[in-house]
Amino acid sequence: MIGNRRILAAAAAAVLALTATACGGDDGGDEAGGALTMWTFKRTHVDALQQAAAAFKAKTGIDVKVEAFTPDDVFTAKIQSAAQTKDLPDVLELHSGGEDLRVGGGGLLADLKGDFDGKLDRFLPSTRESGRVTQQRKDNIEELSGATVGSLYSVPFTAGTFGIVYANKAKLQAAGLDPSKPPATWEEFLTYLQATTKADKDQGGLSLGLKVTQTGFNWIYEQLAFAYLGQEKFASLFGKGTTAGFGSPDGQKTLDLYAALKPYWMPGVSALGIDEADIAFAQGKSAFNVGGTFTLAFLAQNGMKTSDVLTFPIPPATGGAVSDLRLAPLALTGLSVTSTTGNKAGAAQWVDFLTSPEGAGIFAKASLDLPATDLGTQAESLIGPDLAGLQQFFTGPAESTYDAANRGFRPPDYDEVEMGNPLLKLAPLGEADAATTGRTLDTVIKAMWDAK
Amino acid sequence: MTTTETPLAARLVTQPRRSAGARRARARRALVGYAFIAPAVVLFLVLGLYTIVYSFGLSFAKWNGFSPTWEWVGLQNYRDILYADPRLAPEMRNAALNTGIAMVAVSAGTVLIALPLATLLNSITRLRGTLRSVFFLPYVTAGIAVYYAWRYVLEPDGAVNLALRSVGLGSLARPQGFLADPDTALPTLIVIMIWGSVPVAMLLYLAGLQAIDPAVMEAAALDGAGAVRRLRHITWPLLVPITVAIVLLGLRDTMQGFQIFLIMTNGGPAGHTDVLGLKAYQQAFFQSLSPTLGVASALGWLIFVLALLLAVANARALRGQR
Repeated sequence: MIGNRRILAAAAAAVLALTATACGGDDGGDEAGGALTMWTFKRTHVDALQQAAAAFKAKTGIDVKVEAFTPDDVFTAKIQSAAQTKDLPDVLELHSGGEDLRVGGGGLLADLKGDFDGKLDRFLPSTRESGRVTQQRKDNIEELSGATVGSLYSVPFTAGTFGIVYANKAKLQAAGLDPSKPPATWEEFLTYLQATTKADKDQGGLSLGLKVTQTGFNWIYEQLAFAYLGQEKFASLFGKGTTAGFGSPDGQKTLDLYAALKPYWMPGVSALGIDEADIAFAQGKSAFNVGGTFTLAFLAQNGMKTSDVLTFPIPPATGGAVSDLRLAPLALTGLSVTSTTGNKAGAAQWVDFLTSPEGAGIFAKASLDLPATDLGTQAESLIGPDLAGLQQFFTGPAESTYDAANRGFRPPDYDEVEMGNPLLKLAPLGEADAATTGRTLDTVIKAMWDAK
Repeated sequence: MTTTETPLAARLVTQPRRSAGARRARARRALVGYAFIAPAVVLFLVLGLYTIVYSFGLSFAKWNGFSPTWEWVGLQNYRDILYADPRLAPEMRNAALNTGIAMVAVSAGTVLIALPLATLLNSITRLRGTLRSVFFLPYVTAGIAVYYAWRYVLEPDGAVNLALRSVGLGSLARPQGFLADPDTALPTLIVIMIWGSVPVAMLLYLAGLQAIDPAVMEAAALDGAGAVRRLRHITWPLLVPITVAIVLLGLRDTMQGFQIFLIMTNGGPAGHTDVLGLKAYQQAFFQSLSPTLGVASALGWLIFVLALLLAVANARALRGQR
């Protein structure tokens, strides 16, 4: 009996201990005015966020603990498991334009409408409504079926665009090219590539993270096709039951333009992830690298001086509708306050500080990532000349501006991942020609339209 | 009579008492036994049975991992994977084909390399232990870090291309590297999987070979049977059950495992190394928090059914050997 009592006592102690542990496991921020916890999926943001957090603490006395979970699948699993155990942080940095709305529609995010509706004019115009539930988004995103139109699940944090080419000035010079003069046309860009690969066959090509197959489509092809066709014909490529799709003469012409890159990709490019391609460029294994405005930060972190790099948007092809391509910034990441936070006022205050010119300036300067906050004339002084220099590609006439956030003409269930493989088979793999690729892409688009 | 009756009566009286005590002792021993296995049972119920039931239910629903409710869709996830979704089904068929190729090639390759290796090891006496350790090394080291190391070795300017060029076999070198070339990506991964699975197969074969009575082999040799005939008519029939087990392990590991595909190619280039396990993982965690966990679960269950069929086939094959 004594033995049994001991066993029972030990079991009871274990249960009590477990219960106590479970009760004490919550993150900070549960008590009003307490410390806050923030999760991000970008390791490159952590130091900059901590610098901003230090300034925030000096102002308000509120501590913010920043944690990064990478890569994306780990971050996804972390959110899913934390949602189940009610252990979410106070603030999340999420991908804009989809992920934030899905998480919000799933009931995990607080509506920030009351806190930020009056402050949205601080952001770049094309990013302001990225976290808003609209009727169109509600119709297209299943998780928003129960959401209220007008709710604001995130405010824009970082902004930028894809389709920025980074060129290694030293390699341009070695190939006899002017390192201060970007190519004005697609054809001239190809001659640049020809020169750099001739000068250095193995390390003079173009790098891009084609292991993430949609990068070829999103970061090069779309900008090239938009500039060649203009907005209306470009939109027709994605139309429902269109006869002006990728298999049309116009569509095939744009695919042929893209396929002209085939001889100039760096060796092994289709096995490189995005980070690996950037690192290869930073290590001098390629002369050109395609990325976004956010790539600059990563290159700098990998030891490449920004002064050693020439940047320009994807050059438009000769004879196309657009001769001076501009790239509209879109919100890349947003800040959200979780619905389970015990300190919503403090969390909203932190988000407010991070998106204020002061907080955004601290963050941008430390991370080399562009904020969505419109810094106006203070941009250069707040974020430095290199980063401010990238903003020059944002402004221009609407008809010359490619806007990646303009998705109204695409199928409601549009999935860019499915566009990547056919284009990869066209170039660099060379397994299909433009006509076959056009037909395949049309089939993919049709299936997306039929899915809804 | 009385002297014999008294002990019997005493026994009749005391026996029930003794058996009750024995029962209590037995019950105590059983209780201790149950207490010892309880953690394992609880673990199985929570981590095994619960997740199995949970995932089976999930395969009939749409869910993103955090919404408060599941949307029940019946068999739609299964239909979408098999034929109904014009976007998903072709990808799955491609992944199933690659999985099938890898399953057959890895299993066959493992047997073809491990058996001769084990036979050679069994025939030597010097350095057998050392060589066994050397050949077992890939199994000990195989893992994520080694897969990364393989990636470096297989790059365009990696060690494999360098070695081929330096020995005059430059025509076999792949300018795009072995993983970026559609013709070599899947075969390369198969070779690496064989490299990782040969050690255990070799040890199993070695154990089987050492269990064969030397007298049998000696008698056969005396009867004039050469080495090839002994291998074919004595050794091989005795090793068939081990071969079946090795083949089954190879089929199962290749069908369910996807780490090597995730780390080394992520299914690329252009889907040439997509496999079913990887597709399930991508559906679960690479869909920007879309409600695709149900599809991932359904795919997991389809893989399970395939594995079950393989296990049944294996059991029949083993029974046939007896």
